[in-house]
Amino acid sequence: MEDDDRKSSTKNKPQKFWEWAIASMILRLILIYFSKNLNFSSRPEVSTPLTSLRRLAEGYWLKQSSLSPYAGSMYHGSPLLLAVIGPLTAIRISGQPSHLLCSFLFVIADFITAMLIRAMGQKLQSAYSQHLKSLGLDKVLKAPEMLSSGDVAALVYLWNPLTIVTCMGSSTSPIENFFVTLSLYGACARLVPLASFGLVMATHLSLYPAILFIPVILLLGYGIDTPPRKLFLQKDSGNEMKLSSDISSQHIGMTNHLALPSFSWRLPMYFLLWASIWSCYILALCAVSVYKNGGLKEMFKRTYGFILTVEDLSPNIGVLWYFFAEVFDFFRDFFLIVFHMNILFMILPLAIRLKHRPCFLAFVYTAISSLLKSYPSVADSALYLGLLGLFANELSDMHLSFFLFCGYVGVNLLSPIMHNLWIWRGTGNANFYYATAMAYACFQIILVVESVSAMLKNDRMLRRLSTIKDSCIEKTTKIS
Amino acid sequence: MEKMGEMESPKAKVRPLVRIGIFLISHRIVFSFICCIAGAVALLLLPVLAKKTYISENALMPGSANSMLSSQDVSDARKLVADIMGLNVETRNSGIEIPRILAQHIAKLGAEVSHHRFHPQPNKFHPLHFFSSPGLEIMQENTSCFLPGVSTTGIIRAPRGDGKEAIVLVTPYNAAGMDIGEALSLGMAYSVFSLLTRVTWLAKDIIWLAADSHYGEHDSVATWLREYFSPSFASLEEANGKVCPANGDLYETKDKLVFGKDAFKRAGTMAAALVIKVADGNKESEDALTIYAEASNGQMPNLDLINVVNYLAVHREGLQVKVEKMFSLIDSKFLKIVGEIIELLGKLARWLNPQWRFGIPVAEYVEGTATLASSLYSQALGIPTGSHGAFRDYQIDAVTLVISPKVSLSNNAKQSEFLLRSGRLVEGVIRSVNNLLEKFHQSFFLYFLTGPSKFVSVGVYMIAFALLIAPLPIVAASLYSEASKCDSTVKGEKPSSSPDSNMDPSMLLRPWKWLHAAKTVFIIHIWSAAVSLFPYFISQIPNITPTSSSLSWVLLSVFSLHLLYSVLGSPFSYSSSLEPHRQEWATLKSMMISAAFIGLCLMSVVNFATAEIGALLVVPLCLIAQPLKLDVRARSSKAIGRMACNLALGVVGFPPAAFFLLKGTSEGFNGLNMGEFWKWVECLWVWNSATYFYIFLVHVPCWVLFLHILLHPL
Repeated sequence: MEDDDRKSSTKNKPQKFWEWAIASMILRLILIYFSKNLNFSSRPEVSTPLTSLRRLAEGYWLKQSSLSPYAGSMYHGSPLLLAVIGPLTAIRISGQPSHLLCSFLFVIADFITAMLIRAMGQKLQSAYSQHLKSLGLDKVLKAPEMLSSGDVAALVYLWNPLTIVTCMGSSTSPIENFFVTLSLYGACARLVPLASFGLVMATHLSLYPAILFIPVILLLGYGIDTPPRKLFLQKDSGNEMKLSSDISSQHIGMTNHLALPSFSWRLPMYFLLWASIWSCYILALCAVSVYKNGGLKEMFKRTYGFILTVEDLSPNIGVLWYFFAEVFDFFRDFFLIVFHMNILFMILPLAIRLKHRPCFLAFVYTAISSLLKSYPSVADSALYLGLLGLFANELSDMHLSFFLFCGYVGVNLLSPIMHNLWIWRGTGNANFYYATAMAYACFQIILVVESVSAMLKNDRMLRRLSTIKDSCIEKTTKIS
Repeated sequence: MEKMGEMESPKAKVRPLVRIGIFLISHRIVFSFICCIAGAVALLLLPVLAKKTYISENALMPGSANSMLSSQDVSDARKLVADIMGLNVETRNSGIEIPRILAQHIAKLGAEVSHHRFHPQPNKFHPLHFFSSPGLEIMQENTSCFLPGVSTTGIIRAPRGDGKEAIVLVTPYNAAGMDIGEALSLGMAYSVFSLLTRVTWLAKDIIWLAADSHYGEHDSVATWLREYFSPSFASLEEANGKVCPANGDLYETKDKLVFGKDAFKRAGTMAAALVIKVADGNKESEDALTIYAEASNGQMPNLDLINVVNYLAVHREGLQVKVEKMFSLIDSKFLKIVGEIIELLGKLARWLNPQWRFGIPVAEYVEGTATLASSLYSQALGIPTGSHGAFRDYQIDAVTLVISPKVSLSNNAKQSEFLLRSGRLVEGVIRSVNNLLEKFHQSFFLYFLTGPSKFVSVGVYMIAFALLIAPLPIVAASLYSEASKCDSTVKGEKPSSSPDSNMDPSMLLRPWKWLHAAKTVFIIHIWSAAVSLFPYFISQIPNITPTSSSLSWVLLSVFSLHLLYSVLGSPFSYSSSLEPHRQEWATLKSMMISAAFIGLCLMSVVNFATAEIGALLVVPLCLIAQPLKLDVRARSSKAIGRMACNLALGVVGFPPAAFFLLKGTSEGFNGLNMGEFWKWVECLWVWNSATYFYIFLVHVPCWVLFLHILLHPL
C-alpha cells in the first residue's frame, strides 16, 4: 500500500524485478550505517517491549551472568531467540554501528521473506489461472495489465517504508514475519513439515500467528485459493447438460472435475502431527534453556502472560495501552477478555465466508490481529501489506484505495510528530498520540473491510461472467 | 453495460452522509471559494477575537506579597556595576576578569559559585542531525583554537526546598563590548540574587547564570544547558591541551577560577527561566519592558509565565509592557480600512443589542494585527528570538525581558531608581514562580500574542487554518472521482454490443490508475528532499559568495530534476506512449492536492505559524492549477483570467521569488540580491528550523507539480 508506486513501475517492466529487489537490499545496507543517526530503534512504532533488540541484549546479558533472562521485566521474548541472536548482540566491531550483525540478519530475513512471498504469489497465480481456464474465463487472464502478483507482492514488501524502518529499527519482527510467511509458503507448496514448523515458530515467538492455524489447515485441505466452489458446481451442471450435444466440450468438463476443490483430510492430519512434533521439540529446547531459571512455567508467564495481560502500558501504535492505562483495576480482567475475544470472534465467520480463499483469509487474519494486538508495531502492517500485494489482480476493483493510501501516509507521518509533541516538547499530551493510534486503527479496519468486499465482489463478477458465457454458449449451440 | 445498469438502481437512496459528500463535490468551486475567503477573513478577524489574558494557575498569586528588595541591595549592585565598568578595556577583553569579580561577589553572599568554560559550537548544516535526539549532538566536534567563553553561575540552595527544583536567572553579557546596559543587567540580577540569599520563603533553588555571550547569547546558554542535562565525558582540558598548545599560558592564568567536571554545579529541574537584559535608548515617555517569548519552531512558553510578568510589570511597577510589532504594518492603509469596517460593524452590533461586545477601535485593531503578524512571523521562522529559546528545547518555560529606562543610563542618580524598580519586578516574578507546585501546565502553550495582555488561543486560530485547507480534500476527492468516472464513460462509449465488453481487461485495473500519478508525486518529493540537502555540499566549497552559492543551488536543482527525468522517465512520457489519457492531469492534481494537504496538516502540528502562512500560498496554488493548453483553447475571459492567475502564482510560488516579494514590499526593493535568499535559508538550517523542511518537503514539490500541470501536454 505504502509503496504502490513501485507496483506501477513493475507493471510496465516486470523483468526488472531483480534490479528492484537488489536495490532495496542495497538501500537497507546503506541505511544500516546511519542507524545511529536515524535512531529508529527507540521509536515506539518500531520496537515494542516484545521485539526490541535492546531488551534482547539486556536479556542475553542477564543470562550470561546466570540470572533469569526474564528478571526485571526487561525481556519478554523467546529463549530460543536469546540463544540465536543473543551472541550476535554481544559482538561489537569497533568503528561500526552496534548490532551490525543483527541488522545483517534482519536484512537477510527480509529478503527471504520477500522471496517466499514471491514464490507464494507464483503458485497462487498459476493455480488461479488454471481455475479460470477450467471455468472458461481465460479472457480475464489475457489482460495485458494482469500483474505477476508474486513480483508485485515481493516488491511491495521489500520497498514498503514500514518494512525498511522495521529492518533498520533493530527489532526482531523481521524474524517473526519470516516465520509467518514460511508457514504460509509451506502450506501453499504443500510442504507439511515446513508449514507446521513455520507456524509453530511464529506462534512461539509472538503468539498471535496461532490463528493462522485455520487458513493453513484450509490451504492444506482445499488447496490454494480458488473462485468460489459454487461456480464449479454450476459449471459442472451446465456442462453435463450440453455434454450430449457437444462432444468437444467434454474435455473442459473433465478438467473441471479435476479442479473442483474438495476438502481432503490427509494433509491436515499430517499437519497436526507435525505441528505437535515441532511444538514438543521447541518446548523441549525452551525447557532446556530456561531449566535453571524457573522452567517453562516462568517462561510462559513472562512471554505469553505478558502478551495477554498487557502489562506494559508504554505508548505504542495500538489501541490497548491507553485503554488499560485508564480502566479501573477491577474491570481489567473483564476487558482483557473482551479485547482478546474480539479477535477470536472474527475468526469463525471469516473462515466460513472465505474458506475457498485460504491465503486471502490469512491476510485478513494478519491484518485483524495486527489491529487488536497488545503490542503492535509497523512490522505487522508491513507483513499484511506485503500479503495484500498477492491479490493485486483480484483486488483491482477495490474502493477507496486512494483514500487509504493517503491515510496510511498521513497517519504514519503524523504519529511520530505527535509523539514528539507529547514526550519531547511537552506541549501536547497523550491524547494527541492516541488520536493518531485510533486513526491508524480506523484505516486498518477500512482496509480490511474494503479488501474483503472487493474480493467478494470479484467472486461475484466471476460468477456473472461465467453465467453470461454459459448463456452465450447455449445460444450458439441453439443457433447451430 | 449491464453492470452499470444494476449499479444505477440502488443509487436512488443514497445515505445522507454520502449525499452531503456528493453535494459538496458537485459544488466544489463555490465551496472552495467560500472556504478560502472565510479562511482569509477569519485570519483578519483574529485580533478582534483575541481574549484578555488571565492567570490560570492559582498557585502563582503574583503580587500578593510585598517586595523586599531594599536600597541596600541596590547600592551593593551599583558597587558591582562600578567594579565592572571600572575595569580597563584590556583586562576586560581577556574574558576572565568579569567572572572573577562576579565569583567574588557571589561567594561573599554565601552562595555557591562555579564557572562553565565552553567553546563556540560551529553552526554547521548537517542533514542527519535533524533526526537524532537532543543531547546526542555535536559534542564530538573538534574545538579549535578559539578563546573559550566563561560563564559564571551562582546557586542559592533553598532553605525550604528539597533541592529538586530551581528557577534560573540569566544575564547575558559580552565582555568585549561591555556597555552600561549589560553591566546594569548584571547588577540588577546581583541585587535580586543577594536578596534571595537572605529570604526565608525560597522553596526552589535559584541559579544565576551570567552568560558570556562572546559567541552569541544563545550559544552560551545552550552549551551550559547541555552540560547541565547531558554532560559530556570527554575532558575539555585535554582537548584544549591537544589542539592549542600555544594558548597554554592563557589557561595558566585562569587557575584562579575553578574549572573541571566536579566544579560544574547543578540544582534541580528548572521550573522557569528569566533572561534579563537592559537596553539603553528608549524614546518612550515611560520605562518600558519588552517581552520576547518565541523559541525554536514556534514553541512558546506557557502563557502563565508571560501573564505573571505582564501583571507585575503593569500593576506593580507601572512599566509599559510591549511585545514585538511589525512596524511596517502600522501605516498600512488596508488594515486601517479593515479596522474601520470592523469598528463600524461593532457599533452596529451594539446598536442592535447592547449585550453584543464586538469590534474594537481602529488603532487597537491595527496594533493588534501588527503584533499578531510579528508573532506569526517569528514563530513561522522557527528561530528563537533570544537565549530563552535554548530553555524551551528542554521543556523549560522561559522568556526574555528587555527593560529600557526612559532616561539615559549614564545618569547615576536615576540608576538606583531603575535598578530598584526592575529588581522588584524580577523578585516578584521569582516569588510567584516559587509558589508553583508543579511545572507550568494550566495555561496555553499554543497561542499567538496580539498584545502584551491579549492572546489568540489554538482553538480560535485553528479555525482560520481549517477553513483555508478544508477545500483541499474535497477538491482532491472530486477530481479523483471525476477522473475515474470519465475513464469508465470513455470505456463505456466504445461501440461493443458483445457481452465481452464487461470483461474489458483495462477495466480491471482502473481504480489503481492513480498509482502513476502517485509515482510522479513521489519522485518529485524525493527530488525535493535531495534539493534540501544540496546546501550541505555547496557550503563545503571554500570562499563562495552567497550569490554564487544560491545560483549554483538553483542550477544544481534544475540539473538534478532533468537528470531524474532522463533516468526515470518524464511524467509526460507515459501519457504519450499509452493511449491519450485525457484526465491524467486531473489525477495528478488530485494527488498533488492530497500530498499538500497531508503536508500542511503535519506542519500545522509541528509549527502552526508556518503552516498558516504556507497555506495562504499553497492552497490557491493547489486549487487553481489547470493546464495552460485548456485555457488557451477555451479563449473565454474566464479562462484568460485563470491563466493569468496561474502564471502569477507560478512566479510567486518559486520560493526565492516569494522571499524577494515579501522583503521588497516590507523593506523596499533596492539593494536586493540573490545572496540574501541564501543567507536567509542558511539562517533557517543553522537553527534547525522546521520551516526549512516545510519549504522543501511541501512547498517546493507542490510548486513543481503545479508547473507540471500548467505545462501538461494533455
